[in-house]
Amino acid sequence: MSGHHRHSSNQHPVIKFLGSIQLAVPLLGAIAAILIGTTFYESRVGSDIVQGEIYKSGWFGLLMLLLAVNLSVSALTRFPWRGARKIGFALTHFGLVVLIAGSAAVIHLGVEGMLPLRTDMAANTMLRLQGELLEVMQPDGTISAVDVARLADGTIPERTVGGLKLLDYRDRTFSLTRFKTDGEVSNPALHLSLASQNMGQSVEEWLAATPSSAQQVNLGPATLKLVVADTDADRLALMTAPAQVAGKWGTLAIASQGKTIEFDVEQSVGQTLKLSGNDLSDNIQVNVVNFWPDFRLNSRNEPETVSEQLRNPALQLQVESPTGVERWFVFGQANLDPVRTLVAGNAVDATVTYQAPTPEENVFTAIASSDGQLYYTVNSSKGFQSGILPLDTPVDLGWADFQLTVTDWLPRARIEREVVEVSQVDNSQSANAIPAVLVESPSGDRQWLQWGEPQALSNPNPDNPNGELFAIYSPKSMELPFAVALEDFIVERNEGAESVAMWTSQIRIDDPELGQHAFRKVWMNHPTWYRGWKIAQASWNPGDLRQSTLQVKREPAWVTALTWTGSMLVVAGIGVMFYGQELARRYRKFVSQFRNLGSGTAERSDAAIAPATNQSPAQQPPLDATELSPQTST
Amino acid sequence: MKVLKFAIGILLGLALIATPLGTWQPAPTAGLQSLAVQLDGRKKPLDTVARETVTQIHGSTSYRLDSGDREDYLTSFIGLWFNDRDWNQEPFILLNYRPLKEQAGLDIERKYFSFRELMQSNLPVTLRQVRDKQAAEVDLSRDDREALTVADRMSLMLETVARDELPLVPHPSDIKGKWMGIPQSLDSYSVDEASDLAGTLELMKLTYAGHRAPEALEPLAQQLHTQLQQLSPDVYPSDRSLSREVLFNRLHAFGKAWQLFAIAFIAMLAVTFVPLPNWYWLTIGIFTAGLGIQLYGFALRVMVADRPPVTNMYESVVWVGFGIAALALSFELKSRARYYILAAAPLSILALVLADSLPAVLDASIQPLVPVLRDNFWLSVHVPTITLGYACFALAMGLGHIMLAQYWLSPNNKSRITKLSKLNYSVLQVGVLLLAAGIILGGIWAHFSWGRFWGWDPKETWAAIALLCYLAPLHGRFVGWVNTFGMAVASVVSFNAVLMAWYGVNFVLGQGLHSYGFGSGGSAGIAALVGVDLLFVIATAIRYKSLTSTATFDESPRGGEPSSSTSDPVLVRQSTPAQ
Repeated sequence: MSGHHRHSSNQHPVIKFLGSIQLAVPLLGAIAAILIGTTFYESRVGSDIVQGEIYKSGWFGLLMLLLAVNLSVSALTRFPWRGARKIGFALTHFGLVVLIAGSAAVIHLGVEGMLPLRTDMAANTMLRLQGELLEVMQPDGTISAVDVARLADGTIPERTVGGLKLLDYRDRTFSLTRFKTDGEVSNPALHLSLASQNMGQSVEEWLAATPSSAQQVNLGPATLKLVVADTDADRLALMTAPAQVAGKWGTLAIASQGKTIEFDVEQSVGQTLKLSGNDLSDNIQVNVVNFWPDFRLNSRNEPETVSEQLRNPALQLQVESPTGVERWFVFGQANLDPVRTLVAGNAVDATVTYQAPTPEENVFTAIASSDGQLYYTVNSSKGFQSGILPLDTPVDLGWADFQLTVTDWLPRARIEREVVEVSQVDNSQSANAIPAVLVESPSGDRQWLQWGEPQALSNPNPDNPNGELFAIYSPKSMELPFAVALEDFIVERNEGAESVAMWTSQIRIDDPELGQHAFRKVWMNHPTWYRGWKIAQASWNPGDLRQSTLQVKREPAWVTALTWTGSMLVVAGIGVMFYGQELARRYRKFVSQFRNLGSGTAERSDAAIAPATNQSPAQQPPLDATELSPQTST
Repeated sequence: MKVLKFAIGILLGLALIATPLGTWQPAPTAGLQSLAVQLDGRKKPLDTVARETVTQIHGSTSYRLDSGDREDYLTSFIGLWFNDRDWNQEPFILLNYRPLKEQAGLDIERKYFSFRELMQSNLPVTLRQVRDKQAAEVDLSRDDREALTVADRMSLMLETVARDELPLVPHPSDIKGKWMGIPQSLDSYSVDEASDLAGTLELMKLTYAGHRAPEALEPLAQQLHTQLQQLSPDVYPSDRSLSREVLFNRLHAFGKAWQLFAIAFIAMLAVTFVPLPNWYWLTIGIFTAGLGIQLYGFALRVMVADRPPVTNMYESVVWVGFGIAALALSFELKSRARYYILAAAPLSILALVLADSLPAVLDASIQPLVPVLRDNFWLSVHVPTITLGYACFALAMGLGHIMLAQYWLSPNNKSRITKLSKLNYSVLQVGVLLLAAGIILGGIWAHFSWGRFWGWDPKETWAAIALLCYLAPLHGRFVGWVNTFGMAVASVVSFNAVLMAWYGVNFVLGQGLHSYGFGSGGSAGIAALVGVDLLFVIATAIRYKSLTSTATFDESPRGGEPSSSTSDPVLVRQSTPAQ
């Protein structure tokens, strides 16, 4: 005790203050007040904003640092720590410093991102990190970038990057596309009106060669398309009735080592087909396991067919080579690659081409020829028809009493895009709304950049008058050292109910560095670790069970060690501080009683300690029966 | 003598638990009550379905008819099921949120409305707007959430009236398979079996139309129960588990517990302040019996739900009520100070009565767990620890009130005040340890579940704020900034931070990752209670100030109260002479 007084009197007053309770109490109060204010602020503006503005800000970091300094100095200046209370006090305070350091490191040093996956897509390596970037590429290829961080009021601070000025932000925008007549290059665009008297329906649509999204319009059961035919031969080919694909379900061709076999799908379901290679080791064996005319995954994530119509035909194959077995899902749609899953051994060297039968009915195709003439084909239940597409004259489509009329025909359409806020357009677009930022180029042109849409901006640089700036407003991302594929996504439901009991992603990790595959399951509270990365189930889409989003995170091992060590120190410290003395006393008593058991001289060897524990209200004296009886018999 | 008195206390408690004796015997509607239904993800007795349905729509377990009679939930439910009256016109749906009533153009004085009244009000317009907002993923306001709650009540009403497809018929083979209604049983069972079921149900309806009393259905309900059980004996729940849940509903252990706590409280008041023969151990016996029946209720609930009973606000309120009582009893057994029981009993009673009387806010129904809480070791460690910490601080809050009352009533009884302060301090110690441990356990769970130890989620932040609100005055003591009176005030005021961490984050802020516990309602009541309490604290403080300034009551640093001359906590604790 006197030792302490000597210590404290030697201390520099600043040090003494830094470790003092006089600093600690107002500091604790201030932190509590700030946190209270922040949580209420958060309930108004959302978590992302307070994370950026407060919890990850410099001044909040300094506040935490000050707390850590106060804790450390207070513990250090009270050295030596004699007795259970002081030991506990030091453990707790150092533990808290470690814990604060660890928690700060968790928040600031960890890499965390989302990995969107689909069962029908290839393995993904691109981790989507939190936050957005505005990246600008100069004509010479140099890229500069800036964080697009929103403020609480929804605006962004004005900043300049690569000559572009970042001016404004809108949360929900929609891009309107208009077609004007004064384009400089060929870009056929058609304005169509589709009407049915019987059904009392009338729809107007634009079809155009560019942008590619305007090449096709799906109207429920019918599809409208625009195709550009560069040569007459192309046009004629397009206008010829499609050749009937052999077989009711189409044909499948398998190729390996330069050899190909082709077979009728309907005839081969459940059969095993062989493709003999140049020698025995090349033999490929294909088992056609299943066929679905209108494929989809049901709520239990099992393949099934929605209808018997050939809308989305798909095949399941088991492909075996002498060294490996793969499970393949092959799709009739031209733009879908087969989904290949390695079941055992090595990958099989083979390719497959599925020629699906003639596509669905009710397709109208407008064909723009190079000489500026319009033609069309229609595939309906009444068969295939084709001809010249007249302007302002209704064409019977053969779908109920629908008639199609071309009301505008622009051979050189200029695309005019306008980014508008969703509130200004009808609400039907709100599902497609995306954020956008307003930028100003050095020449003073202002332009809205939509999230994820790269755009060119004029740059009146006198040295390089033709140079353009390319800018993109996009999510931050990073490439993982491995790829993750979603092999299966399993949703379990509560018995007899639609409510979800658990969802599980079955993933395959392809590691090119180690040249290996790892097969893991990830579900709530049960992440998997791979080479220091933690992979956890984050979200999924109840409307599409082929997709699943995983949270991928890495924090340095020492950070985890810090938080865990700090945790243990704090809990142990509080325990020792409050109860150590008492427990030590009981232990000594027990030991001395045990020792004295034989000698019969059970004296209280801890008599010297017991009165000391009675001194403060902090330590309730252990009350034994002799002390209590007077109290209870009042 | 002590043991005898204690035993008599326990026996008295048991006697109260046992009455009415009917609780332990099969009810005249036992067969009906224990028909199994598969609903909302689990199999449960019809009794539970009736209770949950009526509570959710009506906000209470009984319905007051025009005649003034009260109808129990089973009768109301059978009435809804068999559509025995014009339910369109019955003022059965709870809507007690004033802004919404104003918006809908409904009578703001009324609490219950009929389905038709609601449909003909402006409510459907409001609802459409809320649904649009929901579809556009716009954050919902309190009004919006209340509107959705009413919409849920209405759709449940619509679903329940004349619900032939109530899933009573077990899946033929799969224990987790989907059950069906009696009209659909033909899909899975033979024509004979299905028509037997339909016949029994039809007879039940006819009988009910004649008698209008659930008791009259009993023989038929038992027959139906047997028929259903025989269809798929492996899938149908055992009689034992069904009657266990019916007993849980009927016994209402948490209600019995608070009654016993109330008796113990009055007895303890008498023991402390009235010169009576010493009934201390008798009182402890009664209190222990109350704790025992609450524990039994917990055990039943755990068996029924098959998980730890701390997964929603209702369960945590009951658990904290239990924690307060259990901690108080253990402190009491160590110290024999009486004040622990006096402080704890009213709080446990408050918690249990609140849990019982606000079914619309604190949902007592047993639901399947949301995935994030499932299959989890940390849930069963973190939540009980942290809520026990809350219970400690609640107990300290109770002791703080007793201390403040002491300052108010007999400020010069310094020895009692000092004694109370010591009692309070030892509770605060345990509270700090439990809350700190609970926060840290939560961090470890978050490390596994969310991938980070700490992320300033509002629930985390508020738990930390609560801890700070206790640590600041506890440290202030060491430098003489906070004296005994100050600690009493701190014990009361800081509990508001605990309330905020426990209830406020889920029900007031409604933000963050702990969203599976979110709800609405009750905030006005709690705010009023907190406000009144703060007024009491302020009044006491003013009185205390005036007393100390007139020097009739001087509380300079004394024993147990550290002096302001030094800043070293450890040192002070050891060097101050004993009181």
